[in-house]
Order: sequence, then C-alpha cells, then structure tokens
Amino acid sequence: MADAPAIETRGLSKTYSNGVEALVDLDLRVERGEVLGYLGPNGAGKSTTIRCLLDQIRPTAGSGSILGFDTRTQSVEARRHLGYLPGDARLADKLTGREQLDSFARLRGGVDDALRRELEQRFDCVLDRPIRELSKGNRQKLGIVQAFMHRPEVLILDEPTGGLDPLVQNEFRALARETAADERTVFLSSHSLDEVQHIADRVGIIRGGRLIDVDSVDSLRERALRHVTIHFAEPVDATAFASLDGVRVEGSEGPIVRLQAPETAMDAVVKTAARHRIVDLVSQPADLEEIFLELYRETDGGD
Amino acid sequence: MGATEFLTRELRDRARALVFWCVGGAAYVAMIASIFPSIEGSPQLDQLVQDYPEALKSLFGIGGVNLTTGAGYIDTELFNIILPLLVIVLAIGSGSRTLAGEEEAGRLELPFSYPVRRRDSVVAKGLGVAGEIAALCLAIFLVLAVLSPIFGLNLPMGHLAGAVMGLALLGLLHGWLSLGVGAARPGRGLAIAIPAGFAALGYLIGGLHELAGWLDPFRFISSFWWVGQSPLTNGVELARLLVVLAASVVALGAAAVLIERRDLQVP
Repeated sequence: MADAPAIETRGLSKTYSNGVEALVDLDLRVERGEVLGYLGPNGAGKSTTIRCLLDQIRPTAGSGSILGFDTRTQSVEARRHLGYLPGDARLADKLTGREQLDSFARLRGGVDDALRRELEQRFDCVLDRPIRELSKGNRQKLGIVQAFMHRPEVLILDEPTGGLDPLVQNEFRALARETAADERTVFLSSHSLDEVQHIADRVGIIRGGRLIDVDSVDSLRERALRHVTIHFAEPVDATAFASLDGVRVEGSEGPIVRLQAPETAMDAVVKTAARHRIVDLVSQPADLEEIFLELYRETDGGD
Repeated sequence: MGATEFLTRELRDRARALVFWCVGGAAYVAMIASIFPSIEGSPQLDQLVQDYPEALKSLFGIGGVNLTTGAGYIDTELFNIILPLLVIVLAIGSGSRTLAGEEEAGRLELPFSYPVRRRDSVVAKGLGVAGEIAALCLAIFLVLAVLSPIFGLNLPMGHLAGAVMGLALLGLLHGWLSLGVGAARPGRGLAIAIPAGFAALGYLIGGLHELAGWLDPFRFISSFWWVGQSPLTNGVELARLLVVLAASVVALGAAAVLIERRDLQVP
C-alpha cells in the first residue's frame, strides 16, 4: 500500500439506469504529491468519477482505489484518508458554522484542532451565524475547512472555487499548492483551464465520459490555440500567415487579419506581422471547449 | 464519534420541534382528561354512543367500552385514534426527513464522504427517530399518570404503561418503515406515502375486520390489530407487542441493508 498511487481507476465505467453512459472505461492514475486538474465541460463525467471514488455511486464495470484501498470493498478505509469538497457544499442550514464543523469533526472521529483554527482564520470563516444566513462563498469556505482540517493524504475537490471571490480563490490555490508540497495529493475537477493551470502539475481531460488526454499543463498550453487579431495600417496579404506551421487564417478583411495559432507559432506570427505597420494586436487564449475540439481533431486524425 | 454523530445530530436538530410536539400533545391529552368529570355524570351519553351504527363503533373502537369509566373514555378519546395518529405522523415525518429528505436536499453527500458506513449511519438515524417517539410517548404517559387521580380517571397503571408502549411501537414501526422505503429508493414522497398508506390500511382492517368477514384473513398485516384496540380497558398482550417490535427491527434492518445497495442521488 505504501507505494500505491494516490488515486487509480481501472476500466471504471458507469452507465446510469436511464442508459446514459456517464463514464466509459476510465484508466486514470494520480501520483502522490501531485496536483491533477480534472477538466471537462459540464456533464462530461467529472462528478461521476468523483462519486465513484467516494463510493456514493457504484461503477457498472471496473474499479478504483485510493492509496491502494479499493473504493468498493475498503471504502471506509479509503475515505479515512480523504478530504472531499463538492462544488456547492450543502450544509446543515440551522447550524452555525462552528456547530457544523464540530459535527463534521465528530463524524470524522477527531481532527487536528490547531489546523482547524488556522484554516478558519486563514479563510476568515463566519462561525457564529446560522449557515442559512451565509452567502454561497461563505458556505464554501466552511466546506474548504472541513475538507482540509484532518490533514488528509488525498483531497478530492469538485469545482471548488465557485462562489469564492478572487482573493479567497488565491488563498485556496496557495493552500492546494502547499498541500502538494507536503507530499499530499490534490485531485481538482473544473470546467475551466484558468482555474487549474496555475495549481496543477498535470491535467486530465474528460469528455463524454471518456478520458481524452492526460498531459502536463505546459504542453497543453503550448497546444492550445490562440485567437489572434491583427489590425494593420494598410490592407495586407494573409497568405503569408497561412504558410506558418500550425497557423490557420480565420478571415481577413482589408487591414484586419484573424488567425488561430498555437503558442509555439506566436513568435513566427509576430515576426511575420512586423514586416507591416501594425495598429493593434490582440491575442486571446482559446477557451477550453476549443481545446477539446482541437484534441478531438488530433484523436480522430490519429485513429 | 463516528456514526453516532447522526444520532446526536438528529436529536439536537429536532429538540426544538420535539418540545412543541410534547407540549402540544400533553396539552391536548390534559384537555381531554379534564373534561372527564362532566362525562362521568351523564350515562345517557354512553347510551347515545351505543346507538351508533356498528361499523362506526367498531372503527372508532367504541364498541365494548364504557364511556363513563376513565379507561373507556380515554381509550375512545385518545388511544383508539388520536394518539396513534399523532405519534405516527411524528414518526413518518422524522423517518422520511432524516434520510430521504436529507438526500433530496443534497445534504447526505458530504457526511457520506466521511469514513462511516452507510448502514451504521442509517441505524443511528433510526435510533434518533426512536428517541423522538419515546420522548413524545413519555410526555403522554406522564400527563395521564399525573392527571388520572386528579380528574378521577382511575386508570390502571399497568394498562396505561402497556397502552403507551403499544403507542410507541406503532410509531416505531411506521417511522422505521419510512426509513426503509427511503433507503430502498430515493425521494421523500414515497417514504411518506408507503408507511402512511400502510397505517391507514392497518387502521381500517384493525377496526373493521370483525364486521367485514372478508377482511378477517388480512388482520395479520394490521399493526393496529397486533397492538389491540382500547388498551386501557382491555390491557395489551406483551407477546403481540413483541411482534410489532420484531417487525420494526426488520424494517430498520432492511433499511440498513438497502442503503448499501444503491447509488446515492444528488439534486
């Protein structure tokens, strides 16, 4: 068990009773001390994966393990080493934040009280008001504390930063990085590459219940296409750009040229553009959906 | 620690509501008891009631009891319908809320990610529901025990204890049945409807099986038949109460098994 990966799934599949294939033959391995971003659009199967790992739903085929503990047959042992934070933590509305955390601590069978207080202060938690009076962000902060307060070996965080203001999001990212530096593991699901790219070492991309790709953040970013719009002082011929490696011309009207280019081609794009007088140049990162499409194209091409 | 937290939680969360249930129930019982002295002196009321149609008398448990005795009066006014209704409503309400209701509200997801077995959680919740029923029944018992001599009800204490025990078991069976339904399938609606339907059916069969012969073979499925009508007048049979207890334990056991066998729902 000592050398078992933090999280591993083998052929994990889930078909719901209504016939929806939420997860198809998922093989995933998350190493200890790693932050893995688990990316996919809504409904891709991210939460289904997580809920299988938590033994809240049962896979129709395949298996999973946390620190070597089978998520079905040794689920309680697996969950002992686990902290979980759902995207929209539903807490006991009538309790105050403190009472809720007390309750979770007892349910856990004891937590690190000093760590709990440190986290409460770090996230500036509202502890003395009933949870029903708290904003979504303040509830989520309580959710963060309960997930981390027993110093778990593995953290599973399902779209954790929804509702948090940017300052708290930064604090949360710092906490996730510290956790990984402490040789513990963070599994972070999100639909936004932005949310994970500064924390994660690797990114797994899931779509339609299938794991499309697992890659380092850096190489993913290199492959991600940018939308580049260049406004020249006078009309130019766009064919010079089309011949650059990986670059596609989306359109050109008079002095304006619109391109798609991977990060690796940006240098060539700028140098080609610099032969003319430039009024403006805008480069926007492609959103995740486009990266998926790009990955799909690659996958199809490879088959 | 661990799963017992679900028991603690259930009792603490419900403490406030439970005080209202107990105070309200006790107040109603006290009011009914306080009217007895004016009934006692009017035997014509008993005569009037005895002229009711048989089916009505049978259904409301008025046949075979004497309204002008304390035991017969309290049986008719409280133990034959009102108190079972009160306790069963509390039991089904709590039994369906604590599992199916919490699941529907998405509030099981986080606690069930803790290192606690689902079946232990459900048993702890079941014990919480039992605690609520016990509190209400204890309040009813105490009020009647104290007021019996004051209003001249002269209730036999052994019968009163048995009657309240029967009441508590009716609650327990339906509360744990509700938990069992919630464990088998997600959704609070069914967890209310099935035990409520079972209670209504049981009540009708228990009240009418002697009159309508075709119902007689079905009397065994009536929890009311097992507990027995007019318990203050007739007493209760311990062996038959044990049957109801056993059925309740089976329902809770089924809940513990069934909750392990399905996917949890999230809203």
